[in-house]
Amino acid sequence: MSKTYTSTLVRLLAGLAILLCISMSAQAASDKIHYTPDQIRDLGFEIAHELRCPMSVNQNLFDSGAPIASELKGQIFLMLEQGESKAEIIDFLVQRYGEKIRYQPSFSAATALLWFGPILLLLGIVGVAAALIREQRKHQDTNGNTYE
Amino acid sequence: MIPELGLIFLIISTVSALILSFIPLYASYSKNSYLFSYVKPLTALMTVSISTSILCLLISFLVDDFSVAYVANHSNTQLATLYKVAAVWGSHEGSMLFWVVSIAIWGCLIVFSSRYQDPLFVGRMIAILAFVIAGFNLFMLFTSNPFARLLPNFPIEGRDLNPILQDIGLIFHPPMLFLGYVGLTITFAAAIAALLGGKFTQQHASYLRPWVLMAWVFLTGGNAFGSWWAYNELGWGGWWFWDPVENASFIPWLVATALLHSVVLSQHRSSFKVTTLLLCLLAFSLSLLGTFLVRSGIVQSVHAFASDPTRGMSILSLLGVFVCGALTLFALKGNLIKSKSDFSLISRDSFILLGNIVLVVAAISVLLGTFYPLLFELLNLGTLSVGAPYFNSMFVPLTFVAVLLMGAAPLIKWQKQSLKPLKPLLYLLATAVAIGIIVALQTRDGFNPWVFIGATAAAWVILTLGYLVFSLRQQGTAIIAKKVAMMIAHLGVAVTIIGATAVSNFESQELLRMGPGQGKEVAGYTFVYEDTVDVETNSYTAIQANIRVMDSDENDIGYITPQRQTFKTNAMETTQAGIMRNLVRDLYVSSGQQLSETEYLVRISHKPLACWIWIGGLMMMFGGSIAAFSGLYSLRRTQAASQTVQHRVNTDKALQAKELA
Repeated sequence: MSKTYTSTLVRLLAGLAILLCISMSAQAASDKIHYTPDQIRDLGFEIAHELRCPMSVNQNLFDSGAPIASELKGQIFLMLEQGESKAEIIDFLVQRYGEKIRYQPSFSAATALLWFGPILLLLGIVGVAAALIREQRKHQDTNGNTYE
Repeated sequence: MIPELGLIFLIISTVSALILSFIPLYASYSKNSYLFSYVKPLTALMTVSISTSILCLLISFLVDDFSVAYVANHSNTQLATLYKVAAVWGSHEGSMLFWVVSIAIWGCLIVFSSRYQDPLFVGRMIAILAFVIAGFNLFMLFTSNPFARLLPNFPIEGRDLNPILQDIGLIFHPPMLFLGYVGLTITFAAAIAALLGGKFTQQHASYLRPWVLMAWVFLTGGNAFGSWWAYNELGWGGWWFWDPVENASFIPWLVATALLHSVVLSQHRSSFKVTTLLLCLLAFSLSLLGTFLVRSGIVQSVHAFASDPTRGMSILSLLGVFVCGALTLFALKGNLIKSKSDFSLISRDSFILLGNIVLVVAAISVLLGTFYPLLFELLNLGTLSVGAPYFNSMFVPLTFVAVLLMGAAPLIKWQKQSLKPLKPLLYLLATAVAIGIIVALQTRDGFNPWVFIGATAAAWVILTLGYLVFSLRQQGTAIIAKKVAMMIAHLGVAVTIIGATAVSNFESQELLRMGPGQGKEVAGYTFVYEDTVDVETNSYTAIQANIRVMDSDENDIGYITPQRQTFKTNAMETTQAGIMRNLVRDLYVSSGQQLSETEYLVRISHKPLACWIWIGGLMMMFGGSIAAFSGLYSLRRTQAASQTVQHRVNTDKALQAKELA
């Protein structure tokens, strides 16, 4: 794949993504969600559990005691009070801190293996096992059941 | 003097291991039975010398010999004796030594036991074990010598054992895990021995079974104690974090679980022999891969050992030698191992097979999630994190399928089951699903699918086990030890699932600013922050919050005292959560950073059924132990029986000879 082609593709995709963002935020701006305090707490905790603390080793925002984690938790609650949705808040933080902050990687061509690998593997192994057993059985039937 | 002795004994054991790894193989190749007589003395020499070596390290710790770098880095004169002992395996070098010593002792017990009536198989096996030991020993001697000295300027006082490791968890968790890995090493050697001999009989499977069970019991313990330690000591409120290092010990556990069921098939039905051997190789390789992950420093984790790239390379090359060698052998000899396969789709055999496949797939998806960020970065695709949300969404459904199979399998006949008698199973399944729906509707936001999965799975296991007991009694079949063991372990799985589902979905928690005089109600309990006090012990100073707890009738039920500890030796800060437990709930309080002069960020949780997670783990260990011992016992019995027969034949021969004379 030539470089220019790739970069055009990337630009096209980026453009599409921006368009999508704009349309989504336009839509969101029109209908802000109003949460009850209980909902804010539950949703805020849920979001904090799904994001990685930028400072401490392998901890989510909720568990981390680092100052930046408290600050970001505050940010999440602030945005919830302003009526932003979970996806909007996560997008905002991903833009600020990069894809690494997300503990649940987004779906893309590069993460397709991650998301579909296990199910493909399951089907693959079951298929191979069934084929092997059938093969073996055919073999046994012609030779009689004398295997040890 | 003592450390030099330790080093010399380490070298002696390396040399004897190297010799031992050739003699039995050469003896069996050249059919020289005289050479075989060297196996026992060499095994003894190797085991005694390596054990003496670790004893020397222990003595160096006990007498505070800080001229030994490993001692100086992990102990000091103030450290309690118990932790000095635990420090022997508390870090990289010592834990490698502990690992090797355990392999040697376990192998030695096998060689000198009269249970195993196949000297050729045992001889080949000890050769492989000796080869592994030699590999690990050379690795220690060249890159991580536990006896390296700090001469002539040795420190007068040592540093400290990593403070967060100074906990009862450390005394149990690492050695159990290492013993689990040792068990996997033993099964690996057995699999290679079977491949070298070109046959894997039901007798070999009956040898293998108790070893697999013991390895599994240790791995279960290692994982359970590790999570118990993280729950109490890290102060993050969780009990499982899908951290790379946790995964490194969890993946081998999953494969060992599959292996233990596969070995039952091989022993009982003489089937799936190749699968059993392959799982032996896989489990050992994954435990080495985990070791590499933990000790090379390629991942960030609180549990990781101090990192050193040369170590990583050495472990990787050991891994390469063992795994490539084993797989080559498998490719060459695997086709000699013949199994029966005479079962239909609805049979216990096929259910166990499917369950094993699901377990292996679960293991590989955890592996995939653990390594994906590394591969991603290596291929210059940028950075990303794979964490709990991913693992849960893969692991929970796979576990669900495995548990459905697990509940049904013991109720289905071996080989072939007609469909008609399975009707009660359908009723049980319907009941389990109904229970699942009812429980899932109890959550705050209507129907929660995770709760449904957990509750249905647990109900299904309990119902099917109950039905199994009922139908066995009705048929008047004696319930043998192995069956009881299986039931206890399976029930343990259900108990753990109940605990995990309850904690993950019905927890109530608050995160708030708290200072003296303030109170908060969580899940019917009232928490009153009374005061903050300074606490001092031998090894740390701490700021302790005294929090009074009242139940819904305003009766005092006690105090919870979370601490922020600062260790004297290295000024490291840790959080010690305060937990008030009983069988139905844990009240969990941890105190975070200081927000103002008197106020702290406090986290209060009500965790329903939290301790069920670990009770289930203990039940699994208990069930596994019963099965292992009953396996060893029946081995001894068959061996005794065959000896009596032998004896009778001999006396008959003697009588005949007399008569002839």
